[in-house]
Amino acid sequence: MKKKLLLFFVLSIISLNSIFAQGKKVTGRVTGADDGQPLPGVSVKIEGSDRGTQTDADGKFSIAGTAGEKLVFTFIGYATQIRPIDGSANYSIKLKSDTRLLTEVVVTDGYVTQAKKSYTGSASSVNGRENENKPFSTPLQALQGEVPGLNISSNSGQPGANIQVRIRGIGSIGADSNPLYVVDGMIINSGDLSRLTTTTNVLAGINQNDIESITVLKDASATAIYGSRGSNGVIVINTKKGKAGKTQVRFDTEIGSTSNLSLPDAGKPATADQYRTLLLEGLTNAGVNTPALLQPYIDSYGLNGKSNDWYDLVTKNGSQQQYNVSLNGGTEATRIFASSGYFKQEATTIGSNLKRITGLLNIDHTISKRFSLGIGLNFSNVNQNTPGNGGGFVNPILSAYFLRPFQLAYNDDGSLNTSRTGNTNFSSIYNPLYMAQSDKRSSSQTRVLGNVTLKWNIWDQLKYTSYVSVDYNILEERQYNNPIMGDGRTAGGRGYDYYTRYFNWLTRNQLSYRWDVPNTTDFYVDVTAGYEAQKSSAYLISTNTNLFPATQPLLTNSVNGSTPILGNANTSNYTYDAIYAIASINYKNKYVLSGSFRRDGSSRFGSNHVYGSFPSIGASWNIDQESFFGVQKIFSSAKLRVSYGLTGNSAGLGNYGWRPTAGYGINYAGSPGQNFNTIGNVNLTWESAKQLDIGADFGFFNDRLAFTVDYYNKNIDKLILQNPTSLTTGFSAITENIGAMTNKGFEFGVKGVPVKTKDFTWSTSFNLSLNKNKITNLVNHAPFINGNFQVQEGKSFYTWYSRQYAGVDPANGDALWYTDDKKTATTNVYSKAQRVADKQADPKAFGGFNNTFSYKGITLSADIYYNYGNYIQDAWANYLNDGTNYTFNKYASNMNRWTTPGQITDVPKYVAGGVNSGQSSSFSSRFLYKGDYIRLKNLTIGYDFKNLSLLKKLGISKLYVYGRGTNLWTKTYDKRLPFDPEVGAFLNNSATNQYLYGVSNLEVPQVKTYTIGLNVGL
Amino acid sequence: MKINKFIYVLIVGAVVSTSCKKSFLDQKPPAAVNIGDAIKTESDMGDAVNGMFNAARSSSLFGRDIPVLGDVLSDNAYVSSSNSGRYLQENNYTFISTNAEASNIWSQGYYTILQANRIINTALPSSTTIGLYKGEAYTTRALVYLQLANFYSAPYTVNPSADGVPIVTGYQGAYTKPSRSKLADVYARIIKDLDSAYAIMPATATSSEYMNKYAAKAVQARAYLYKGDYAGARDAALEVINNGGYSLLTSAGFTAYWTNPGPVTNKQETIFELALTNITNNGTNGLDYIYNPAGYGDILSTDPLYNLYSATDVRRGLIINGKRSGVQAYIVNKYSNVTNANDRDDLKILRYSEVLLTLAESYARLGDEVNALKYLNQLVAQRDPLLVYASTGDQLVSDILTERRKELAFEGLRFFDLKRTNVTINRPVQANSAPSIATIATDNFRRLLPIPQAETDVNKNITQNPNY
Repeated sequence: MKKKLLLFFVLSIISLNSIFAQGKKVTGRVTGADDGQPLPGVSVKIEGSDRGTQTDADGKFSIAGTAGEKLVFTFIGYATQIRPIDGSANYSIKLKSDTRLLTEVVVTDGYVTQAKKSYTGSASSVNGRENENKPFSTPLQALQGEVPGLNISSNSGQPGANIQVRIRGIGSIGADSNPLYVVDGMIINSGDLSRLTTTTNVLAGINQNDIESITVLKDASATAIYGSRGSNGVIVINTKKGKAGKTQVRFDTEIGSTSNLSLPDAGKPATADQYRTLLLEGLTNAGVNTPALLQPYIDSYGLNGKSNDWYDLVTKNGSQQQYNVSLNGGTEATRIFASSGYFKQEATTIGSNLKRITGLLNIDHTISKRFSLGIGLNFSNVNQNTPGNGGGFVNPILSAYFLRPFQLAYNDDGSLNTSRTGNTNFSSIYNPLYMAQSDKRSSSQTRVLGNVTLKWNIWDQLKYTSYVSVDYNILEERQYNNPIMGDGRTAGGRGYDYYTRYFNWLTRNQLSYRWDVPNTTDFYVDVTAGYEAQKSSAYLISTNTNLFPATQPLLTNSVNGSTPILGNANTSNYTYDAIYAIASINYKNKYVLSGSFRRDGSSRFGSNHVYGSFPSIGASWNIDQESFFGVQKIFSSAKLRVSYGLTGNSAGLGNYGWRPTAGYGINYAGSPGQNFNTIGNVNLTWESAKQLDIGADFGFFNDRLAFTVDYYNKNIDKLILQNPTSLTTGFSAITENIGAMTNKGFEFGVKGVPVKTKDFTWSTSFNLSLNKNKITNLVNHAPFINGNFQVQEGKSFYTWYSRQYAGVDPANGDALWYTDDKKTATTNVYSKAQRVADKQADPKAFGGFNNTFSYKGITLSADIYYNYGNYIQDAWANYLNDGTNYTFNKYASNMNRWTTPGQITDVPKYVAGGVNSGQSSSFSSRFLYKGDYIRLKNLTIGYDFKNLSLLKKLGISKLYVYGRGTNLWTKTYDKRLPFDPEVGAFLNNSATNQYLYGVSNLEVPQVKTYTIGLNVGL
Repeated sequence: MKINKFIYVLIVGAVVSTSCKKSFLDQKPPAAVNIGDAIKTESDMGDAVNGMFNAARSSSLFGRDIPVLGDVLSDNAYVSSSNSGRYLQENNYTFISTNAEASNIWSQGYYTILQANRIINTALPSSTTIGLYKGEAYTTRALVYLQLANFYSAPYTVNPSADGVPIVTGYQGAYTKPSRSKLADVYARIIKDLDSAYAIMPATATSSEYMNKYAAKAVQARAYLYKGDYAGARDAALEVINNGGYSLLTSAGFTAYWTNPGPVTNKQETIFELALTNITNNGTNGLDYIYNPAGYGDILSTDPLYNLYSATDVRRGLIINGKRSGVQAYIVNKYSNVTNANDRDDLKILRYSEVLLTLAESYARLGDEVNALKYLNQLVAQRDPLLVYASTGDQLVSDILTERRKELAFEGLRFFDLKRTNVTINRPVQANSAPSIATIATDNFRRLLPIPQAETDVNKNITQNPNY
């Protein structure tokens, strides 16, 4: 590797020596007038000559010129500016936006910043301003429906919950499908680092208000620079930087409340009366059919006694508040952005909330003409209380549905009922109110993200950047199970304290060189090459003790337990090491040919494949720069793009999985032991994706309307799968790079300002993403079951595999299923019905429709998200429908059960213990619902007190007041759907490592928020 | 404009100095060692022995499935109608090739053999300790092969040239797909391994949770007995009894012996047991948990077994005449340490009593009835003061087998006695049993467990047992 670097430098020197500047050198820097950010790719020309150049990634330019000549700066989306050359040698140009469209002008991929016009890749940026102050605990939630090709789904309304982010479909089967996250150049450890609590999300530590832009890199031309980690796409987050000029101080606050999304009729739990009716009917149908026989049940289940509404008891209205203050200012030499924020959200489910404090400091300092230094520091602390989910008896949502109305939360004296005996008390499921009060499940996640960038303009054309960044994460997790009721009872109280620390550093040294082709204008070559190294070290401490003091509810740390069960520490490290290069040839901004190359090594790769190479190539043609473009009047701009490249996916490889090892951690008779327990595979390597992207960008009506379309074809192979071995080896399978699949799709985006008058502006954007996933190779071509999905060649990964429900036999009330996919015959024997691979759980199409209307100072914006073509499953239907598990409460919809011969209904006869041998409510297409929905995600109406002289006197430069509602309205398309359609789950599953779309898991439900906000500028 | 070469030297220096050494990409795992470096010292090998015993005590092997199947497949035990859903196929003899236990015993058995092979195949300078470790590995490997051969093959006494199980004596990589060896070869390997072990092991172990040379001999006595080589069984058993230094569990100490969860060093009764403690145990998957009503309590003693014990037999105290879900039932109380706060019951693998019974049976079968009665009555005297045997001929062998059943009940050996003697298994009809089978004739194909489907799917060289 060192040799290659040396070669690069030698070449650089040779090429440099061949350049001789002519005339006087004029240099300067071009920035945007509104945000002070450098503008790369700005065309700089000497008026009336053929001399010209473009600004570099830092907005800097250098051109030969003499006094008296005029510099002309032109850039799409900005007003042209002309500046005469005077005596000064350095020019600071501020270009004003010409208010055509708020489209992105630059693309920052973490390595280089390029003008969007000359960019050959497929990338979408969202300006941070668009989502400021939104009441989401993680910034990506606001991106749902805003970026073509980016699918975002929250499976839980738990504030701070991990959310599912997929770029252009699922990228893996056995490894990780999450995109790579890059914050201010740092490849961070992302996702859910929790080991004890239900869910956390590292990105919850990033304050939406600190984000300058989020860029989603999608195709190979954009992501290949991330090599073996780029194939799931890359999300690049840049925080706000200071700008020179008058110091701006901003104060933002938003407060309000959260409330339940209204429960669909099909999902309402049975009332006390309904449950009584169902239970007595079910018992009667099961042979307990005389008053004398029923009376003991009526008495023991308290059917004539008091009752309560459990859904009501475990949900409530929550509160929502955030406060942010920021400072932005400095001199040309030193620019500062500093901010601090506080965010608090309570979900509508008991015991679920989040508090966050954040701080950001970005300092940019120009040391001299040749040196500049940037320092960034981002701090956050996120505190969460997270109730259990899924089938845990401590899950309040499970309790809301499973507890009978006649199980009483409170004793007669008003205290919480903790009795475990008798059918009006809590013999199996716990009293959720007592659990919320007495158990503890909390996490505190502290993150420090720091970086230093030193830039050295060695030469006007040659720049050196040295970058060091640290991503430091501490997650403290605590769980306490009280000794009175619940999971800790038999252990006399149980406490866990877990400590998880990730120390992740990255260093990058990079040289950029611009070579203007001699004797031409606007024809140049940009080359950037560098070296990068990264190491992440995890440190994991786990403790667990039992037998706690019985009546000391505050003493919950594991130190209070008298019996140590677990106390150990472990580490887990990974490293990456890479050389990379990016080059592009730009001819008059008409034709751009770019390429990138990365050679990536990692400790995660088997010893036979330590390094991999990841090249990409891309080309773009800006048709609007051609002379013939002017003959037509339809398009105001047009660009064609094409790219192809190879990327990898190595995030889910596991840090040590390839190594054949003997593992320790065994205690035999009080002595340590080792087992040959990891078969390893020295050939194990990254999953790889070859992606073709063809895209076009068009502008109409002087670019007031912009249209973008992309087609992609992503061939993914070397997917990691478990290849079964003969058990006589001592192992059941070896992890190998075997599988393959494709993702093909279209993305459309339209942005426009249909109306713009002096007082009224309507801006709108619409996008649509279509993705088709297809498995093309599996181990021995053999399909396998993944939960209720079948993974099969030729089908989408998320293909449901269900018995086909044929309704209820009108003669006897039995559930019926079709015997096969031809649907010719029915059976009432569940096991005789054939399972059919049909319908998918991931959406066929999704997108957003966002509108903003401004009239004078009033602004109204509405963001709509839609999702189409998927089916979702009620994973707990077996407990909530029919009489199979009759001791649990039921959906009220069971009142539609079959009761009399000849009756046509789709709910079988209600029999205690169940009909069809108790399998009427087992998984079948009966419990698959259409997942299509349209949701009004955000509705904001505000007023900008622009010209109030009183405010000026008070020293307030800006005052904006608004009201906001989120998730106010949702339209679904299946009346039978018992819950909100945005669901998904992780299930413990050895077959795959994927999030399961469309599987409900009794999570904390999504919430509605109503807030009012205030933005004050000083 | 001149380029200052110095600048470039500086840049190159800066970049190169930050580039990393090759070892940067070689991140060593924190709790594991590369398999080639795992056993380099005597101490490492000791760790590997602990790991091997750890594999053996899994609930998929000696920790539960083997002892449970040994009794549920026989006439000793049955699954209550009130159960946690475990061992139902075994109780009813309806298991097929995807049966969990047939799969568990096979895979965990070979996993344990993998651990033993590593120890056996690692060359370290010989010493007493290395001899002990390798001997423990040979003995464990032989013990596991003996279990596999008896579960998955026809009895040797019926057909020595039947298919045995694949003999794997070293790790040959992930893609090895061995075929089944002949049963005679498997037995030959078992006996050879035990000879190798006996030759290199010391006479005394640190505690009953580790092995000594007499443990190897005790396993060998069992192997010869199952093989029908009674002279071999006699000699091996005599070696343990005459030279092992073990003493018989007395009636006075009987109850205390079974309630003691930990190891012993007094060489009384226990020749080898697998350690379970309050920190490392099989929890709800433990042998104790499946038998004891404080756990699942799913498995009960059959009435005929209970009725075999006279009122004066101390062993009857290990079965409680109680209730299961409100119905009278004989509850097994051999494994009483279920809760977490206490130490858990060690898993008794080799007991002195078994060796005595093997010796008695060998003498009886070889026609030396004087010695047979001597050893039989020596044991019986410490169990039931009113019982003295004086039978002869077939009756004597039958009495010995009955005592074997009574002494070793719920320790997983009964099924193999019924198999090797090739008799019909008569399971009593118990009113409160989960669906169960009454008669298993000698030609019932389920007297052999199925080779797991996971194996036959992958390994085309292996033959499935008939009718699966």
